[in-house]
Amino acid sequence: MYEDGWIPTVCYQCKAECSILAHVQNGIVQEVKGNPRARGKMCVKGMAGITSLYSKERLTHPMKRVGERGEGKFEQISWDEAMEIMETKLRALHEKGEGHKFTYSMFPHSASDPKWRFVNAYGGFISTGLPHCDSGKIMAHLHTFGCFPNHHIAPIYYSVPKDGLMILSGRHPFGCMDDACVAKDILDAKERGAKLIVIDPIFRPEAAKADWWIPIKPGGDASFFLGVCNYLLLNNLYNKEFCDKWVREGDMEKLLDFIVDKTPEKMSSICEVPAADIIKLAKMVAEAPSACIDAFKSIMYGNAMDWGQVWSIFLVITGNLDNPGGQPMPELTPMAPVNPVPTPPDLKELGYHRTGPNREKFDHYNFILEPTWYAAQAIKEGNLKIFFATECNPALSEMGAAAWREAVSMKDDDGNYMLDFFMVSEILPSETMKWADLVLPDQTNYERWELLYMPWWYNYSHGAALCRPVVKPVGEARHTNNVIIELGKHMFPEFFAFKDDVEYYDIELGGVGMSIDKLMENGGMWSPGTAGFYKYKDKKKFDTPSGKIELDWNMYADINQQWPSPELPLEYRKDEEKFPFILVNFRTIFLNNTGAWSHNNAQLRDPVSGLDSNPIMINPVDANKLGISEGDTVFLESATGKVSSIVQLTEKIKPGCIGIIHGFGQTVGQVATLCSSFNDNELIADAGSHLDEQDLRGGEAHVSTRVTIYK
Amino acid sequence: MKQLSIMVDMDRCIGCKTCVVACRNHHNLVNHRSHMPGEIPFYIKVESQAEGTFPHLKEDFWVSPCKHCKTAPCATACESGAIRKDAQTGIVLIDQDKCTGAKKCIEKCPYDVIQFNAEKNYAHKCNMCYDRVIHGQEPVCVEICLTDALSFGEKEILKMQAQAKGKEIIKKMSSQSIIYVKSAP
Ligand code: SF4
Ligand code: SF4
Ligand code: SF4
Repeated sequence: MYEDGWIPTVCYQCKAECSILAHVQNGIVQEVKGNPRARGKMCVKGMAGITSLYSKERLTHPMKRVGERGEGKFEQISWDEAMEIMETKLRALHEKGEGHKFTYSMFPHSASDPKWRFVNAYGGFISTGLPHCDSGKIMAHLHTFGCFPNHHIAPIYYSVPKDGLMILSGRHPFGCMDDACVAKDILDAKERGAKLIVIDPIFRPEAAKADWWIPIKPGGDASFFLGVCNYLLLNNLYNKEFCDKWVREGDMEKLLDFIVDKTPEKMSSICEVPAADIIKLAKMVAEAPSACIDAFKSIMYGNAMDWGQVWSIFLVITGNLDNPGGQPMPELTPMAPVNPVPTPPDLKELGYHRTGPNREKFDHYNFILEPTWYAAQAIKEGNLKIFFATECNPALSEMGAAAWREAVSMKDDDGNYMLDFFMVSEILPSETMKWADLVLPDQTNYERWELLYMPWWYNYSHGAALCRPVVKPVGEARHTNNVIIELGKHMFPEFFAFKDDVEYYDIELGGVGMSIDKLMENGGMWSPGTAGFYKYKDKKKFDTPSGKIELDWNMYADINQQWPSPELPLEYRKDEEKFPFILVNFRTIFLNNTGAWSHNNAQLRDPVSGLDSNPIMINPVDANKLGISEGDTVFLESATGKVSSIVQLTEKIKPGCIGIIHGFGQTVGQVATLCSSFNDNELIADAGSHLDEQDLRGGEAHVSTRVTIYK
Repeated sequence: MKQLSIMVDMDRCIGCKTCVVACRNHHNLVNHRSHMPGEIPFYIKVESQAEGTFPHLKEDFWVSPCKHCKTAPCATACESGAIRKDAQTGIVLIDQDKCTGAKKCIEKCPYDVIQFNAEKNYAHKCNMCYDRVIHGQEPVCVEICLTDALSFGEKEILKMQAQAKGKEIIKKMSSQSIIYVKSAP
């Protein structure tokens, strides 16, 4: 099964899952690089993936908890015992008719990820970080364009023409979270004459390469682009032909009514970008052959739903949809279903956010997945009983880290944990493990199978990529997909009638006339070779209820939120005196966010090849006023948390903001604990405890946070 | 003169350190099992310089491997004749068998790029991927650079390519085999 040579497979040091080649010699992965048949690049995290694979800290045996949750004390057990523990717990809850109280927190590698299939068969839900990372744009895709609720969809940078505009709004694509080739594609586009515009309160390598850097107030992007749209519409600089043809009747008039007072001058006072610059950008957009905006949520969190809607309005009035250099609308690769497909339970009826005392607050919650940010609250309310976590680290990634810890350790009057059972499967020690009842050793991408075919991130045209085992697994590590398939075979044999993961993927690949063997013989990937442009013209419609683009989100009319608010997130508008700074927590290429592998990867924490600290960044203007000097140890305090670390004075941040890197703070593992660091989610409030401030339309949890800093 | 060189395009380098790790993997510099951060040898490093005050800022990133100096101070310093500038390629090579571990080269290298293997008692450094280039391949860092910021070839040809693209050679940074270029401001 294993062979030496350069083997095509897929990286999984982050969720971009780039196609790569692994150089195997004598059964050992020696080197890795991007697969030239795909997009050809692999980033520093990927290159360092070999260190995760062979780290001495790899989890190699199943373990069960012996102390209390949080103590992190375990004893080694057999796989048989581990399987029996899980099955017993799962069966007991299912027999009570409470399958919906089972939640699996994971990154689904595809819509048909075998773990998700099990959860659907069981009647539970999956939860991912998506609701507080990508919800704004996912909801915009759904509501405005009616397309597949895509995950983050970056512009196709290799399609940007000369003079096209590439606008990065609070997004750091050089961090390679979409695909390792993105930085190259952006710089190539620049070389052929496209313009790079970076809107960001911090100056990162993207800004260093930009033709124009626009420092903005965090959360100000909705107002900024409303100002741009106002100028375009009122000065007849928008794409009238496109709008006349494709926008639902009446929506343009309603948009005009809404936007008429969102003047560049007025919007300038919110986003702190001069009105002249808002107008300058509008004029550039009007003249450019194309414009795209790469953004994640709103700039550094904040009002994501508002931002998502403004983003879609901008794209529509400039006609930048599914065109070269605009916003792509990729389609799902048509894999074959593995029948019978289990029907998932009704999220609106049974999701943990809909079964507790706060249920009516979620009446307008339209997001497609269970809100992970509400997990702690759901445990407290008795609506979350069994929690599985794979390839994720909620102890660090959940907002309100303290509330999360409290919830998973909380006991009822009889002394039983409120969360009845907690399983974590991981490759390297994770923070979350400390609270787990059962820890299962997972396999890295070099030891396992996976079929990737989703159109998210930067996958427009490679269609399908195969991750295959290139070396023998370490210790007793088993891929969690196979563990869950085995559970499925015991509990729901009708839905797990296939032999194993390989046969499952083989059936799916039949949808494009492929098989695992054919993929393996042909470089590990299948691709139609084109993403296609203007697909809506072929279809002569958009997949919305009206068949047209729907700018007016009338499903929120009864709460008067059918149009986006230009305001900054609520949290930024209160307690300004007590907490004068806005927290900007950003990502870097050296961390897979809170993912446990990058924390304990020696190369990614090495000062020469990675990042070995997360200092508190402050502009010298602010520091001088506070008497704070470079290297001082300071406290950073929000309304709900407090951390302490070393200060770094830097011109690269807008005064009034404090910058910190997201994804530090792990206290488990020899590498992670070498540097003193802190977790940004200690400062960010738990969502369940301040629901009134949440935007509950699409699932965005406001993680916007104000802080104060002192010595 | 025969001189193979690497050209660093500072319009493209973003300081991502991908090349550092790829170089280590290829040259077997890292013990994935046991190395801890701060103790892993490296043949290439990232440097950067930021200028200005908010909001008028500029920042450049570049990489710095061994410069394969014309009259290499490391070679002159080595008393056991373990270091030579290869006549065919212009690459400065350390012969591990001849190296006595005297560390004289490390003291004399102006760019601080020589690594020392204490366990096996020898000095080592970037050999411009000699094992690859003599068989027609590019150095690893050039091949895998995330942004295609690096190019490889004969020094005179690289200079012509830079000129054709309208890039200026940054003289104060460039040296015998590593050329730094950037668009005119
Ligand atoms: S990989 Fe390329 S862009 Fe990244 S640091 Fe190295 S030379 Fe610069
Ligand atoms: S090791 Fe130092 S002195 Fe020797 S050739 Fe390289 S840069 Fe020059
Ligand atoms: S030329 Fe080869 S040895 Fe030198 S830095 Fe680049 S990858 Fe490393």
